[in-house]
Amino acid sequence: MTATLTGPRSDETTPSGRHPSTIIARQVGREAVRSGLLWGLAFGVFIVLQTSAYTSQYKTPVARAGLARAYGTNLGLNALLGQAKAINTVGGWVEWRFLGILSILGSVWGLLTSSRLLRGEEGAGRFDLLLVGQTTRGRATIQSLTGLAVGVMAMFVPILVGTIIVGHGASVGLHLGQSLALSAALISGSVMFLTIGSLTSQLVRTRERAAAFAGTLFAVAFALRMVADTVAGAHWLIWLSPLGWIEESHPLTGHDLSPLWIVLDMTIITSVATWRLAQIRDVGAAVFSGSDTSAPHLRLLGNPVTLAIRLARSTIGGWLLSVAAFVILIGATAESATADRSGSSGIGQALGRLGAYGSSVADYLGLTMLMVALIVAMIAATQMTAIRREEADGHLEVLLVRPLRRSSWLAGRVALSVLILVVTGVVGGLGTWIGAASQNAGISLGALILAGFNVVPPAIVLLGLGAMTYGLWPRKTGVVVYGYLAWSFLIEMAGGLRKVSHWLLNSSVFFHMTPAPATNPNWTSATIMIGLGAVGIFFGGFSFLRRDLQTDAGEMS
Amino acid sequence: MPIPAIRTRGLTKRYRDFVALDDLDLQVEAGEVFGYLGPNGAGKTTTIRLLLGLARPTSGKAEIFDRDCHRQTVEAHRRLAFVPAESGLWPSLTGEETLHILGRVQGGVDLAYRSELIERFELDPTKKVRAYSKGNRQKVLLIAALMTRPDLLVLDEPTSGLDPIMEEAFRHSVREARDRGQTIFLSSHILGEVEALCDRVAILRAGRMVEVGTLAQLRHLSALTIEATFNGPAPDLTQVPGVTRVVVEESRVHLQLQGPIAPLIEALASTDLQGLLSREPSLEELFLAIYESPIDFAQGHVSTAVAANEGNRP
Repeated sequence: MTATLTGPRSDETTPSGRHPSTIIARQVGREAVRSGLLWGLAFGVFIVLQTSAYTSQYKTPVARAGLARAYGTNLGLNALLGQAKAINTVGGWVEWRFLGILSILGSVWGLLTSSRLLRGEEGAGRFDLLLVGQTTRGRATIQSLTGLAVGVMAMFVPILVGTIIVGHGASVGLHLGQSLALSAALISGSVMFLTIGSLTSQLVRTRERAAAFAGTLFAVAFALRMVADTVAGAHWLIWLSPLGWIEESHPLTGHDLSPLWIVLDMTIITSVATWRLAQIRDVGAAVFSGSDTSAPHLRLLGNPVTLAIRLARSTIGGWLLSVAAFVILIGATAESATADRSGSSGIGQALGRLGAYGSSVADYLGLTMLMVALIVAMIAATQMTAIRREEADGHLEVLLVRPLRRSSWLAGRVALSVLILVVTGVVGGLGTWIGAASQNAGISLGALILAGFNVVPPAIVLLGLGAMTYGLWPRKTGVVVYGYLAWSFLIEMAGGLRKVSHWLLNSSVFFHMTPAPATNPNWTSATIMIGLGAVGIFFGGFSFLRRDLQTDAGEMS
Repeated sequence: MPIPAIRTRGLTKRYRDFVALDDLDLQVEAGEVFGYLGPNGAGKTTTIRLLLGLARPTSGKAEIFDRDCHRQTVEAHRRLAFVPAESGLWPSLTGEETLHILGRVQGGVDLAYRSELIERFELDPTKKVRAYSKGNRQKVLLIAALMTRPDLLVLDEPTSGLDPIMEEAFRHSVREARDRGQTIFLSSHILGEVEALCDRVAILRAGRMVEVGTLAQLRHLSALTIEATFNGPAPDLTQVPGVTRVVVEESRVHLQLQGPIAPLIEALASTDLQGLLSREPSLEELFLAIYESPIDFAQGHVSTAVAANEGNRP
């Protein structure tokens, strides 16, 4: 074998990939499309199934008028989904139903997706490699936003197909322009919160904080819309809420789509702000980065569980503050929201499925506690994904190569998660009582604290499902917990319309929660849910003890 | 009879069809510095993950000081400390806070020694981990491992990112640990580091251990490195029996010789030879020689150049 030390450069060099200057857009777009398409398909199917259910069950004007009486005057549903307008028509019902539900889910998807793909990728250092390529910081941000836009388009297409399919039905009769307008309104929540999540990704340094920050803005927007839709004389507040703009667009029953222009303006403003902030900060840093040096603060550094509290305390604090603000507001407005409508038979009918009874204030709070349950369940999902991230980022390895049992670590983290869920539930009940008591609404502290405990069991089920997934397929933890959460919410919303298959209804974790304080908590059901969660946690833990740790960096070398 | 620090028997790890580690029998005695070598994907980190209980073996057994790595993980971990190649530290904690939490989980921190190590490695403990360079994050991991003076130090590419001065501080710390009777298991790509520190070395290839022994033993099995200088153009020596890895630089030839030296001397006798240098191979040359030999998949094991030529040495 003979070798020469030097030689001329070969003429045969590989070309760069196609359009190397757009690699970030394609990278972000690929991820966003995958997720957007999945959610869009679910939304599209939901639209088709729900509309066909409505048209087949409520065939006559009389039946539809009955439905409108039941739901149109239901303050709880108005608070959750927005004011019902002309829901005795197919167009009115479709508009109210889908804008109400899908704007919430789409917004949550938007903020989670953008914080994951922007701040999450940057935090993991993967953007560093791309940013040394043929791009600048500003162009890279435009590329990221373009990638997200492609993801929204992937969500838009199945939704549009769904609205076209239902629009072609003789009993619905939407023309293409209306389908387009409805679909545009349906994805506007996703669009806005994608850019809001992009903006918060510039402001703070971790993915969790970026999502929590955007989530707080979402909670404020939701609370404002809720008050605007339920409190007499407060409807002007609707214009302060991004979710309110979507509601006011009325793509099928109105003639003025100008609120969607506000959505567009907002999207442009947040996009430009994102682009500008990305240019003036360092890669890997954030506008509010804080100091890089500090005197040691050794509190909460005694063991892995207190360490987890310390690392997540600002995020947990943010969640608790948001929930507290939300429920105090709801509690404070419950009396005035229901004062001139008490005695509405619609409320009782709407809650009948859930077994509710009692005063209209209690009914109102019972339905709005469903939103608290959703938030608590979302916290459960974030806790399980945080547990998974500890392993994926290699933090867990640093701990488990020391004299620490896997079982102790997991038990501590799950116990901490349960504690956070219980505290959030109690804060939900206590905050509602503080708000309601300030207006002498007449609901006791005990009833509302119980209502707070009542929202925890569904979250425990989600925690159990997440733990089981974490034990068996750790990399799928996020997909499974968020997917099941979205599924449960969709089924819960769909279940109010008609006699949906009991199997489907049972598959929603929220279906098994009674709407306290409108009715007493069903402790049997709660105990079963807690038991199911415990079984999931047990089997998840069992599997976790018997598998390899799996980091994102890979295991083999 | 003293208890070995590390003992594996038939240790095997498969990821579906891929065999990451195949039937590893290894024994590291207490108090020795043991080098563990192999190219990327050879199975070094897999071995370490199995020893640490982070991965479960497909078959076989691993023990740390007679404690089963999977059934008695915590007992085994009480006697060891680990430095990974990649930092899994928490970005929002300072260096001091990180050392504090890791010390609390491990226990037995020698505080005076910790301060000494912070000074030796010139670490600023007030900085947050996110502000540290890769080298500084590695220093935190090294200090966290050394500060408890464990019986066994498992080091996986411990000096990646360290500058030469800190590399020297690391070597000093390893020698210090060895002098105290601690055992060091060092997986590294820096062959000079292994050569300078290790009493024994094992070389891994495609998941199998192909050589183990002291450096002297391994050198004895391997080829000689020869550098010949000529007055005029270098002759073609590639056809001489036992000659491999011939590199020609104008009138100078570098080559490796396996087997008897007589054929080469005979070939050189007819040339205008100006000078001849012969030396034992460095660890790097040894390593490369092993890795350029073919794998005998048919027999289910690796046949190295070293092994193949073992019987040919005079």
